[in-house]
This record gives sequence, structure tokens and C-alpha cells, in this order.
Amino acid sequence: MHFTQKLELFPEQHVTQMLFKDVNNAAELRQDAVEGNIHAALINPTMLLSPFQALLAANKAIHSQSIGKMKTRSLNSEIIFNLSPTNNISEAFKRFGISHQDRSLLVVVVHSRDDSEVLSHIAIRVDGQEVPVEEFSSFSDPAKIRKLYKVSPQEESGGLLDAVVCRMATKDVM
Amino acid sequence: MATLQLLRGAEMLKQGAEGRVYRAEFLGKPAVIKQRFPKRYRHPELDEKLTHRRTMQEVRSIARCRRAGISTPVVYFVDYSCSCIFLEEIVDSQTVRDFIASARRSSSRSDQELQRLAELTGRILAKMHDEDVIHGDLTTSNMLLRRSADSSELELVLIDFGLSYISALAEDKGVDLYVLEKAFLSTHPNTEPLFQQLLGSYSASSKKSSAVIKKLEEVRLRGRKRSMVG
Ligand SMILES: Nc1ncnc2c1ncn2[C@@H]1O[C@H](COP(=O)(O)OP(=O)(O)OP(=O)(O)O)[C@@H](O)[C@H]1O
Ligand SMILES: [Mg+2]
Repeated sequence: MHFTQKLELFPEQHVTQMLFKDVNNAAELRQDAVEGNIHAALINPTMLLSPFQALLAANKAIHSQSIGKMKTRSLNSEIIFNLSPTNNISEAFKRFGISHQDRSLLVVVVHSRDDSEVLSHIAIRVDGQEVPVEEFSSFSDPAKIRKLYKVSPQEESGGLLDAVVCRMATKDVM
Repeated sequence: MATLQLLRGAEMLKQGAEGRVYRAEFLGKPAVIKQRFPKRYRHPELDEKLTHRRTMQEVRSIARCRRAGISTPVVYFVDYSCSCIFLEEIVDSQTVRDFIASARRSSSRSDQELQRLAELTGRILAKMHDEDVIHGDLTTSNMLLRRSADSSELELVLIDFGLSYISALAEDKGVDLYVLEKAFLSTHPNTEPLFQQLLGSYSASSKKSSAVIKKLEEVRLRGRKRSMVG
């Protein structure tokens, strides 16, 4: 059910994504994340169209960390920051981080090779039902995404995901 | 450095004076990676700054075009520390250069297709100039063609914004077209009518085309005078 991808640029690192529905303890998980007691990025999946976005965000976060140029305090918060179309950190957390009443959750974990223990440790803390990552799109809210990234109809003619991805990658120069 | 390590194992598509182009898988997707390196003869610190700025401009122009609905490869990731841009690979495409060359070799059916291509190219360049993006290196090798998935319509994808910049001046747009004209007619001899068709389509599509075409004519004249002297 998990989706794990090896990073070509950082062969020691893997990114695993786990998707949950019917989550009952979002507030508690959020508190844990804020206090740094959970080693994962906890993301609101309605703001994403595809696991590819989380992969890009994680790849960029590890890159920024490796050259000492993170904009936030931790790798996991950097992942959330990288998803956002703007450079406003608190805005990024508000839109892409987990909130109190959320019922769905995307967990993104950066880990080394065979870290199944770390993964199950994190998964077990979520009071909810894990679903295959393939079901990603059933959680997405394209209307909200379109609005947040300010994607015009002409830009969307090339595909909404492409528009979003390109805005994520180019936000530092626009 | 992670990126340079990846490039060592990647397939090189092109080796140029100022950069290399590679193909590699990136996060599970086919990607093209453009690496720009500093010119050796300049001051090293200045070099690095200029290379960095060029890379930023290339990324910015791509983003600007995409926002206007002009097809260019998606930027996936930029490693500014080594001036590498990770781009979507435009798969199953061919350069306009190859397309024109093979179309002219084959039968009459392609005549219509060439005209459609000229019309399309003119329209897209007009749109790009209306966004004040000057490509800087318009050639038929810096345009890719692919058939869109849902139809047999041709889609034109502009690539290689390495020399691009932002300008609203008709002069800059005229020079942009002049560069294309020179490249077009020397790569594809005896295609004057086809290029005229491209310009016609440009004129019909752009709001500010008359000033640009006027500048193009001026630049042509200057070019001719220069070649008569030199
Ligand atoms: N996104 C892409 N998808 C597919 N092929 C590409 C892509 N980008 C570049 N190419 C191929 O690589 C070639 C060189 O790329 P590009 O023109 O961007 O590099 P360049 O070094 O600036 O080239 P030049 O010096 O010829 O202007 C292109 O002609 C094309 O065949
Ligand atoms: Mg080129």
C-alpha cells in the first residue's frame, strides 16, 4: 500500500508515502508534528493531485538541506514549504499541513534503505484506515488547487498537474 | 555533488561550448537535464554569478511561457549550485528541423502539413512576444513537434530558453524574428514562401505585430548593408 521511491540524486535516501482516510486523531498528530515528535511530513492530501508532487518536494528539501539552504527549521517542514506556490512559510503550513479536523492524511517519510520499522512506527500512530496511494486523486480538490496556484484556463490546457509542478519548481525566481 | 554524480551515469545528448544536455530518469519520469558551465576566460567569481543569472532567466522564461499557455517542457527541479535544470523530456517528438526536412523529401500531402506548421509557429511566437519573452535563439532545432495525445493535431513545444530575456521593445522582437529567418532559410533552402506564411500568421495573431515587422524589415536592411560592406 505504501509507495516508496528511491531518489536518483540521493541514492541513500528513500521517500515513502502513506495515505489514510477516516482519520480520527488529526489534532493529536498535528501536535506531535509541531513538537517534532514524529519524523514525517503530515500533509493534507486534498491540496495535492499526485504523489509526484510530494516526491519533488522531498527531493528539493533534501537538496536544500545538503547545501545548507533550507528555508525552514526541519526537513519535514521544508517538504511542506516546497509544496506551496509562495514563499510564505505560515501560509504553506496552513494550506498543506495537517489541520485539527482533517479526516484524510498523507504521510511522507524520508528514510534510508530498509527502514520498515520506522515506517510501521509512524503508521501505527495514525488512527485511520490506510488506502493504496493509487487512490490519491479521489482525495484531491482540483478547484481549490487551481485557485491556490492561480492556474489560468490557458495554462491548464497543458494539464493542471504540470502547471502545479512547474510553479513549485520555479517559485524562487518568479 | 549529487547532481554531477547523476550526470556521470546519464546519457549525453549534446555537448556544447557553454553546456551539456543529458537524458536521465528523474523521480521515475523521463527527464532532460541541462547543465551550463562557466566560460573559462572570464573572472571566476563574475563567471559564476553570470552563469547563475542565465540559469535563473532560462527558468523564468519557461515559467512565464507556460503561464501564458505556451507549450514548453515542465521544469521539475533546478540545482542552482551547479546550474542544472531538470526538465520534462518531450517524448515521441522530433525537431521542427527534422520535420521540415523529411516533409520536403516526401510527397504532396506534406505541403499542407508544412503550411499548418508555419501557421502554428507564427501564432505561438506571436503569443510569446505578446508576453514580452524574447527567445534569443530561435531556430528550427529549438522547436519540437509532437502529436497531442487526444488528437492528431500537431503540438509545437518551444525549448532552449538559454539566451532568453524579457523585453517589450519591438526592436528586440524584430531581431528575434530575424534570427529565426536567417536560421530557417539557411537550414531549409528555398522555403521563402513558407517563412512568409509564418510571418503572416504572426502578424495576424499579435496585437503589436506591425511595429515588430517594421523593425524586422529595418534589421534585414541593416544586415544586407553590412554584408555588402564586409
Ligand atoms: N525537454 C526536452 N525533451 C526532449 N528533447 C530535448 C529537450 N530539451 C532538449 N532536447 C534535445 O536536446 C537538444 C539540445 O537542447 P537545447 O537546445 O535545449 O540545448 P543547447 O545546448 O542550448 O543547444 P544549442 O546549443 O544547440 O542551442 C535539442 O535540440 C533537442 O533535440
Ligand atoms: Mg538548442
